[in-house]
Amino acid sequence: MTRADIEDKVLATLAALLNASRAELSPQSTRESLTAWDSLKHMHLVLALEEAFGIEFDDAEIASLTSVPGLVDAVAAKVEI
Amino acid sequence: MSDRVPANDYAEVFAAVAAREQEAASYVDILRVLVLRNITVEGLDTLLKHHLHSLRIRAEVTFGGYGTMVQDVLRPEGAAAATRPDLIVLALSLDEIDPTYGRPGWTADAARSELATLFRLLAERTHATVAVHTFLPPLWAEQGLLLDRGGRDLHSQVDVVNRYVVEMVRELAPRFVLVDLERLLRRLGADAALDSRGRYLWRAPFRRPLLDAWAHQLSRVVAALKGRAKKVLVLDCDNTLWGGVIGEDGLEGIALDPNQYPGRAYVDFQANVLHLAERGVLLALCSKNNEADVFQVLEQHPHCLLKRSHLSGWRVNWQDKASNIAELAEELNLGLDALVFVDDNQVECDLVAKMLPAVTTLQVPKKLPDLPPLLLASGLFDTLHVTNEDRARATLYQGEAQRKSERGAFADLDEYLASLRTVAEIHRARPGELARVAQLTQKTNQFNLTTRRYSEPEIGALAGADNAAVYSMTVHDRFGTLGLVGVLIARVEGTSARVDTFLISCRALGRRLEEVMAEFCLADLAAGRALRCWCAEYLPTAKNAQAADFWARRGFVETSRDASGIRYERDVAAAPSVLPDCVTICKD
Repeated sequence: MTRADIEDKVLATLAALLNASRAELSPQSTRESLTAWDSLKHMHLVLALEEAFGIEFDDAEIASLTSVPGLVDAVAAKVEI
Repeated sequence: MSDRVPANDYAEVFAAVAAREQEAASYVDILRVLVLRNITVEGLDTLLKHHLHSLRIRAEVTFGGYGTMVQDVLRPEGAAAATRPDLIVLALSLDEIDPTYGRPGWTADAARSELATLFRLLAERTHATVAVHTFLPPLWAEQGLLLDRGGRDLHSQVDVVNRYVVEMVRELAPRFVLVDLERLLRRLGADAALDSRGRYLWRAPFRRPLLDAWAHQLSRVVAALKGRAKKVLVLDCDNTLWGGVIGEDGLEGIALDPNQYPGRAYVDFQANVLHLAERGVLLALCSKNNEADVFQVLEQHPHCLLKRSHLSGWRVNWQDKASNIAELAEELNLGLDALVFVDDNQVECDLVAKMLPAVTTLQVPKKLPDLPPLLLASGLFDTLHVTNEDRARATLYQGEAQRKSERGAFADLDEYLASLRTVAEIHRARPGELARVAQLTQKTNQFNLTTRRYSEPEIGALAGADNAAVYSMTVHDRFGTLGLVGVLIARVEGTSARVDTFLISCRALGRRLEEVMAEFCLADLAAGRALRCWCAEYLPTAKNAQAADFWARRGFVETSRDASGIRYERDVAAAPSVLPDCVTICKD
């Protein structure tokens, strides 16, 4: 799995959860730039990504996963690239 | 419905639910759900929709605020007032109810009194069905190996809360129903059910498998509320009720010995079948066999729990099973969608599923040890309460079989009906009858002019109102009692009275009781009132076509008609129709 694959899946998951189109999101999107990305959505996002990639985030890092690049980094660190 | 969502496929389920929402917009049955909670159980909504979609019911789910259960019910602009829910789901955690939960010396008292307030509020200030749950005792014992003599340990105190919850649900049933989270946890295991990280990070203590099992339970509550409970269990015999083939293995050769495997699994399955019969589910057999062989097992096998007297019908022959099952439905006067069919043979199951899609078909599991709980786990027969009529139903249908066998001996139907010496007791519904009256409004589909579903408290309110009247009809004849089988609800509006509900249970149809009850109630309500006009309506559904011309035949004149139904009127002064003399009316 390449970094691009991960980014693609993160964006797809985020779009589905926020009920947004892919055009509204970019690889640089952050929680600040997306008002729909609230704390409840954040929980669902974490659970969905863990399920999709078969990984588990560290409980201490979860709150800091506030951007697409950050999420991609965190996933990439846990899956075989 | 019994299909569990396989683990890891939740993303697919969530996508499927979203994709089906548009189709669901066209569903006739809508259910408004309000979740009152002090924890995060988001996801429960989607899983509930998932289970309800397969019943063609659309759910609108709203979540109350965290810990604002009371405000959500009481405030005029609160969630309860805004959504007018049909179902209120409680999702509570003891540590959020009482922040001292789990500390040394904690007792159940404060939590219990908080719950008492909440329950009373929900019972008095809402009309919804309320799904309450038990609380999960701690996984680890704070006193280690020691047993606290005074029952002051946490587990014992949680048990105190749970006993109180169960007691309250028992008292407030059927408005209150119980979801036993502890039982769900036992089935799933703590690893699959609980999320300690989620509990601390998001106040979300439950994993999706638990939320899904919870949603499934709730969907069974809804199925019961909406009158979707199945009524008849049709069973194959060989390799379903016992192991082996009676026609080949003989009485000694089939497996039905509780001291051996596989016999023990079949005995346990039969025991669960009898539990359903106790609740009023009708039992029938559909088997390719010689009838004498099958009844030899039922009557002579020392371990066969199922007896001929439990059966309301059977088709033991070599005809195809779809035709046999269709005949059984007709004989029992029930729609095919009231039937569940269980068979071990894939081909038979497929045939019935294909020819009679309305019948719910279950195949004996490939792993026999999974057979005993099959029917209980499905929840297909779940109802919110059992009335005396339910318990006696099998007897009622056995009387019906006798009535039918005599029918052939008479020249015409009226002669036959007169010979039954039918007596109809018609009067205002009495307090002890309200549960059965509500149940009939929930379950009657065929002869039901308006198909309005009412809960017991709603019926109670109508029966007590000055401008409404609830009539019940109880029928017996020389073969026995048919029980309470007719309901008519009228609402008085000035000088006119409108028939809000009129229904006759399917087991009492074809005996001209419809005419008798309608005319009696119309006359009774008009007596002593300045009524000028009777208004009535027929609201068509997929099942009540047989009642379509009822009002017209009773001399009502059509006043308007649209997609929702036909409205009629009749002058109170108009000459009363001639009543059939095959029914004697008893006013008290």
